[in-house]
Amino acid sequence: MKRSLILLIAAAAALVSCQEWEPVFTGKYPAPKNYEQVILEPTMTIAELASMYKHGSPITFDWESDAIVSGQISSSDQTGNFYKSFYIQDGTGGMEVKVGKTSLYSDYKEGQTIYVKLAGLTVGEYGYKTLKVYDDGPSGGSGMVQIGYLYEYQEGTEPEYETSYLDGTSIVDAHIIRGEFGKPVEPVVLEEKDLPSRTATLADCPYIGTLVTIKDLVYADEIFTLVYVDNNKNHKQSSNRVFLSDQTFGVNTWAMSKNKFLEFLDAGYFDEVSVGNSGDYNYGTVADPENKESIRRTATAATVSQYFKKGGTEVVIRTSGYAKFADTEIPKEVFSGVVTPDGIKRATIDVTGVMTLYQGTIQIVVNRLEDIVVNEL
Amino acid sequence: MSRKLTLAIAFLLVSLSLMAQEYTGGVKGKVINRADREAVAGATLTIYQGASLVATATADQDGDFLVENLRDGSYDLVIDAPNFLQTRVNFAVVEGYVKNMFNLSMTQVKMVSEEDADDIAEFDPDENGYNDNPTILFGQNDVFNNIAGFNFSNVRFRTRGLSSESQEVYLAGVRMNDAITGYGPFSLWSGLNEATRTKMSVNGAEASDYAVGGVNGVTNVPGTASYVRKGLRGSVLTNSALYRLRLMLSYASGPMDNGWSYAFNVSTRLGGNDWIKGVYYRSFAYYGSVEKKFDDVHKLSALFMAAPGERGAQMAATQEVYDLMGDNMYNPNWGYQNGRVRNARVRKTHEPIAVLKYDFTPSERLSASATVLYRFGKNGYTALDWNDAADPKPDWYRNLPSYYLFENEDLQRYSEVKAAWVEDAWKVMRDPNITQINWDRLYNVNRNNRDEWGRARSKYIQEQRHVDQRDLNFAASAKWRAADWFTLNGGLSARINRTEYYKVIADLLGGDYFLNTNNFAERDYASQESRYQNDLDYYIANGKAQVLHKGDKYGYDYLAQVRNLTAWATGRFAVGRFSSTLAGKVGYVSFWRDGLMRNGLFAGTWESGAEVLDPATGEVLTSYDPQTGEAISSYGKSRKARFFTYTAKANLEYLIGGNSRVYANVAYLTDAPTFNKAFISPRTRNTLMNGLTTSKTFSTDLNYQFSGSGFNFRGTLYYTTIKDQSDVMSVYDDLQNAFTNFAMTGINERHMGVELGFKVPTPLTGLSVQGVLAWGEYIYTSNPRLTQTVDNSSEVVVENEIVPYWMSHPVYKKDEAGNYIIDNTGNYVLDHHQKHYVPATPQFAASLGLAWNHNYWFIDASLDYFAKSYLSMNPLYRTDATTAGADNIVTPAEVEYFAAQESLTLKDKPWLMLNLSVGKSWYIQRKYQLGFSLNAKNLLNNKDVRTGGFEQNRIVDNTQNQYQYYRFDSKYFYMSGFNYMLNIYFRF
Repeated sequence: MKRSLILLIAAAAALVSCQEWEPVFTGKYPAPKNYEQVILEPTMTIAELASMYKHGSPITFDWESDAIVSGQISSSDQTGNFYKSFYIQDGTGGMEVKVGKTSLYSDYKEGQTIYVKLAGLTVGEYGYKTLKVYDDGPSGGSGMVQIGYLYEYQEGTEPEYETSYLDGTSIVDAHIIRGEFGKPVEPVVLEEKDLPSRTATLADCPYIGTLVTIKDLVYADEIFTLVYVDNNKNHKQSSNRVFLSDQTFGVNTWAMSKNKFLEFLDAGYFDEVSVGNSGDYNYGTVADPENKESIRRTATAATVSQYFKKGGTEVVIRTSGYAKFADTEIPKEVFSGVVTPDGIKRATIDVTGVMTLYQGTIQIVVNRLEDIVVNEL
Repeated sequence: MSRKLTLAIAFLLVSLSLMAQEYTGGVKGKVINRADREAVAGATLTIYQGASLVATATADQDGDFLVENLRDGSYDLVIDAPNFLQTRVNFAVVEGYVKNMFNLSMTQVKMVSEEDADDIAEFDPDENGYNDNPTILFGQNDVFNNIAGFNFSNVRFRTRGLSSESQEVYLAGVRMNDAITGYGPFSLWSGLNEATRTKMSVNGAEASDYAVGGVNGVTNVPGTASYVRKGLRGSVLTNSALYRLRLMLSYASGPMDNGWSYAFNVSTRLGGNDWIKGVYYRSFAYYGSVEKKFDDVHKLSALFMAAPGERGAQMAATQEVYDLMGDNMYNPNWGYQNGRVRNARVRKTHEPIAVLKYDFTPSERLSASATVLYRFGKNGYTALDWNDAADPKPDWYRNLPSYYLFENEDLQRYSEVKAAWVEDAWKVMRDPNITQINWDRLYNVNRNNRDEWGRARSKYIQEQRHVDQRDLNFAASAKWRAADWFTLNGGLSARINRTEYYKVIADLLGGDYFLNTNNFAERDYASQESRYQNDLDYYIANGKAQVLHKGDKYGYDYLAQVRNLTAWATGRFAVGRFSSTLAGKVGYVSFWRDGLMRNGLFAGTWESGAEVLDPATGEVLTSYDPQTGEAISSYGKSRKARFFTYTAKANLEYLIGGNSRVYANVAYLTDAPTFNKAFISPRTRNTLMNGLTTSKTFSTDLNYQFSGSGFNFRGTLYYTTIKDQSDVMSVYDDLQNAFTNFAMTGINERHMGVELGFKVPTPLTGLSVQGVLAWGEYIYTSNPRLTQTVDNSSEVVVENEIVPYWMSHPVYKKDEAGNYIIDNTGNYVLDHHQKHYVPATPQFAASLGLAWNHNYWFIDASLDYFAKSYLSMNPLYRTDATTAGADNIVTPAEVEYFAAQESLTLKDKPWLMLNLSVGKSWYIQRKYQLGFSLNAKNLLNNKDVRTGGFEQNRIVDNTQNQYQYYRFDSKYFYMSGFNYMLNIYFRF
């Protein structure tokens, strides 16, 4: 009897103390430490990295490479105007880092120094088109050199981009090293002469890809937006594309959220526009019931390029339809001008944003609405 | 001893006695269960004088027995009954009298009841609309329930495929099924095994003495002091599948001479388990009850109990993640915070129950009772919430290799290199910052998110969702034995339930504050601040969104108000070998929603009826239901939903000899939909579902039961149809960062099948062969209507449309190459319609085993096999819009791809389980009892048993150039591998 009792208790003790998983802590959790702010030594400047790239030939760095490029973050996706990327700049120029995550500003703060370990990463270009000069002016030009990942594509499909996004926490954390926090980048104020030419690169203009301020821009009565007849169908097909360009169509907002777009669509703003690529207008107009129904059904937010002039140079303010301020109206005195004793006058604006080139056109992407300041008449 | 031999001896003795008629002496009495004082029907009584067998007898249905024709002298009476310890008593027949032994109590053998009814791993129920509460079977005297209840709980077996709502559970005569959901209430007293051990239950559609019941049995836990086993009891228990340690202590006085009795029970359950990390118990329980019997007529009793504590929950994952982790027990809910394991999803409850009961027994023939029961307290469930940040779950689909290999190349993320790296991080590096929640990152993100005043606005928080009930019940019933052949039971009950649904900030995770705004609505209405306010009234009063700190209510806040009235009666008739019960019940249910927080998307109107205007722009915020023309409101009272319900039941029973009976039940009943299945989006608006109506259940069963001489058998055939059910699945959709609600009406089901349970003694003393079989077909028999809404948007995505592939889907003929055959008319050729099944329970379950007990030892071994279990379906995949895809053309391949129902039981991974139980108890100095029981389950260490799961309610529709949509992978829950429970107990 006694023996079995002892055995029993021993067995119980053995079982209870059986190898335990790490137990769940149920007390008050101590607050985690702050991230360590790493300092690394960059091996090249952004301009040097950009100069390595040649049109049409993306570079993928060797896995053994110890190349590091560094810079301060100049953009933020907080308002939704930047999406899945941020820009860094180091004084020699700026460059976009494509990270396939949203709300990047949670982890990567404006002004923070970032080190990019380039081993295994790809540097490529987006938005390059051979410069051609037509009767109504030039078309095409430089795009932007970006840091991204190898662009893979499945057999039988056409490669569309030169880089893809860095994605997956383990990949991102292996390449993007967070350094010290810093004050937000101070924009450089550019005059017309400082603006890049259509074919400029960082070798010609160190301001490309950096945060700049351009003053006294005048509205140029022109927008550019591409929408699709059926968003779920091939975006490349001419019959599926609607170009809203060369005039304003009454679009007086910085961009169009889905609701705003539908509002304008239903108001008939785009009714006259033909469906199709330039020179291939064989698919009717937006007003055709079938087209309009399909556009409405699959509508999304629309990114809008609003055209301005700095002296004689075209400067586009490009705003995402997903930006929180997308539907904010361009002040009337800027958009259409106001009547003054001296006749109709337009107010100018000062804009601060990241300056990029897309097919040779200067595009400014602002971090927030406050970066657009209306000057008094 | 074989059955034939036993019978032969019995006949011989009876015939001898008929011939002889020499002696007038005898013995009589009643065999009862020591635990609940209920009769033990069919107990075998064997009488010895010295070593020679004198007589045998079998106790009848009421446990009564009478053995006559005994000469004066001393005898040994040995009582045997299946699942009870053998009991031996001495008695003497003196001067030819029949000795009355009164109550002879027996102790139940198995420690089955140590399994807490609520002892199932806590599965996350909230994010998927999935609920897998098993029906709890209680052993008692039913051979099927006894074996199935013990062996089948691990796979979350549901009797007859019916959900736990169909099983009625009473406490002290008050129906305790949750007023909001109808679920079983066992979690309210988990850990109070001693106090709630005594239970009376009936099966299937039978009516009981204290209620008419539904179609899946009725269980009553009397709960008051005199029903708790007398004496002091303590136990130490460890359960490797649930918690490290359970300590329990109870004491019951039993009825004392002064008319008082009292009882208490306390327990604690602590720690994690061997299989699933992050899951833990930190639970306590307390119970106290007093009873005063004033005289034979009046008795007053009171009890107070609760099971406060917290439990970490487990979440399902996709097979991809389980394979990456090499572990089907992987749990994504936890992560390291400063090196310590923290679970994001913890249920924290403290819901006490207070009962006052009055019993009135004016005569032997009449008894009545009245009970007031109040349940209150808090029930919270934590979860991560975030604003303008990425999903923090480690197994979010974008964090997995498959995200880069997705077959749809249009998404432009195809990358074998990335997939390989991500796979490496999961599979090889096993970096807990990748494979589990990275709490440290959440804190850093929050701290670094400084606003213009330098304060940290939290992006990630831990919220606590509350469902706090105040449930007041009144029940009165009476029993009148009008005549020997007729007994009448009847009663009235009333229920007032007020449940507040809200959430609070449980932890700001290193930040200073959070805002009471709606992130998703903010995306849609960026320029209209009022629209994305969770609390519009605050915004209107203060001109800005509410700044939230720890403990503040936010998001939503509303009351569920439920009122319920029931009147019922049963009449039992007994004539000769026939007996019959007729039962009826009528009920009235009304409920409404009462919004306490005005949401910017569904502003409704002011009390005056005036429209709500945007304070900044003057724009009208009030929106209207296009069908009813009523303002859609998140605030104030909804329309009242009212339902009259009724139940009618009939039972007929015929006794074949003393040992067996055949009986049948027929029932038809209507049930009101429950509150949680009546509103299209209860968190945000008052809108009731269209076409809400009572569900109609018809059920019939035919049973045969035999019990005697150590033999036990029950066989049942049943057939049940349920029509017009409604359901709301609320699913977190990370694409929309919002809950999507799928409200369905008109769901019909049919459940039919067979239940068999048997226990047969072998020639070896104390050894029996036992087994059960539950084989049914539980299918859907209608295509319901679906309304789909998103919490954070006023848009009704799908409005009251038929779900065409819910109850079945067409399968078309294929040629040998696997291509679908097209006939001359250009149509596909139908092969058959594939049925869809009621999910999450095996439709085939069998167990075969041996039970041996002797000299206070018992050993049970069983082999269980389960099959035909199916995955819970989502309605979205069964709609025309989904199967049609982007091109709007439905093809047989798409129908098969989306509509087909997944089986949880796979051919190459059979659900085969071996269980073993061993127990022994010792009496010390005839006063104390010490014992242990060890239950070892799943000795084959089968880790491939998918006990449940669900489809993600999402489609990949971001397609161009493609002709179909794509599914997201389903998520599964797995059963633990080998596990054991060891219980050591003592009794004084």
